[in-house]
Amino acid sequence: MDKLTDLHLDALSEVFNIGAGRAAASLSEIVSEEVKLSVPSIEFRKCADLTAKLLSLDQSQLGVVKQKFSGAFTADASLLFTEDNALEIMRDMMGSQISVEELAEFEQEAMCELGNIILNACLSAMADMLEIQLESSLPSYSVSNSDDYIQSIIGGEDQTYIMILHIDLEIERRQVNGRLIFLFSSSSLSTLRVQIDTFLHKI
Amino acid sequence: MTSAPAPGSPSPRLLIVDDSRVSRMMIRAFVLDKQPDWHITEAISGDAAIAMVDQQSFDYCTMDINMPGTLGIAASEQILEKFPAMRIVIFSANIQECLRSRAAELGAHFVAKPVTEKSVGQAITFFKGEGG
Repeated sequence: MDKLTDLHLDALSEVFNIGAGRAAASLSEIVSEEVKLSVPSIEFRKCADLTAKLLSLDQSQLGVVKQKFSGAFTADASLLFTEDNALEIMRDMMGSQISVEELAEFEQEAMCELGNIILNACLSAMADMLEIQLESSLPSYSVSNSDDYIQSIIGGEDQTYIMILHIDLEIERRQVNGRLIFLFSSSSLSTLRVQIDTFLHKI
Repeated sequence: MTSAPAPGSPSPRLLIVDDSRVSRMMIRAFVLDKQPDWHITEAISGDAAIAMVDQQSFDYCTMDINMPGTLGIAASEQILEKFPAMRIVIFSANIQECLRSRAAELGAHFVAKPVTEKSVGQAITFFKGEGG
């Protein structure tokens, strides 16, 4: 892999900081509360090195929203929530008058929408800053255990890299930890590096 | 962290507070493009900024919110308590309404990131008191 320098990572962190800020603004409108954001941190790893520990997710059941992005480069993006968190955010989104049965009925749709807001906010911030175009597929939501999720990623080509973005979104009454995972092929990662260089040279 | 203001110089002194090096570079570049005579100093955190304002005087400050240590809103509050004449722009990606109102309560001006010629222009307009 062409190494990304600290300056590349700094630029990417700032992009995702902007993305997460946009996402938090939308989320806070939805749940009518302030959403606190942690400082984002980014790391790149080989897919094969991915473990549950690296994702800092201590629960085995995950809610996963997946979306594909394509354009200047391609990336498979996943937003991971612990499942308890997912249901609580949904309850906030849909209002407390909704019954548990109804909640289950809307789960798929609501989680896709939530993922759509967060993933698109992050990717559109990246597209704006790098002055590129990225298109997104429709999001899909599933609940899976963390080992299965990791297997589904490691199962791909071994020349694939993952970018793990750690951002904690905290909604006043509840601690919600989300992780964003972006899967890049080697060629997409090289393209991304070139795009960041172009951006940095313009400063 | 960088260029020390020349003593006795009438040029405005700006403190850029941001944990992102890229953001600091961009704010600096856009400001100097419009205001080449301004003296610019950088701080990498709210805590560093709080320490710096005790040692040097500044006319203006751009302040990020999400930083390790003291968050930008709290840092601005502490700085404005001591130096109420300083003009502070909260320059943040965290664009929630409650943070905009908190900035306004402090007497600071809120400008939404990303850092662009336009957003930096809004900050400069506020600093110079041209309708900000």
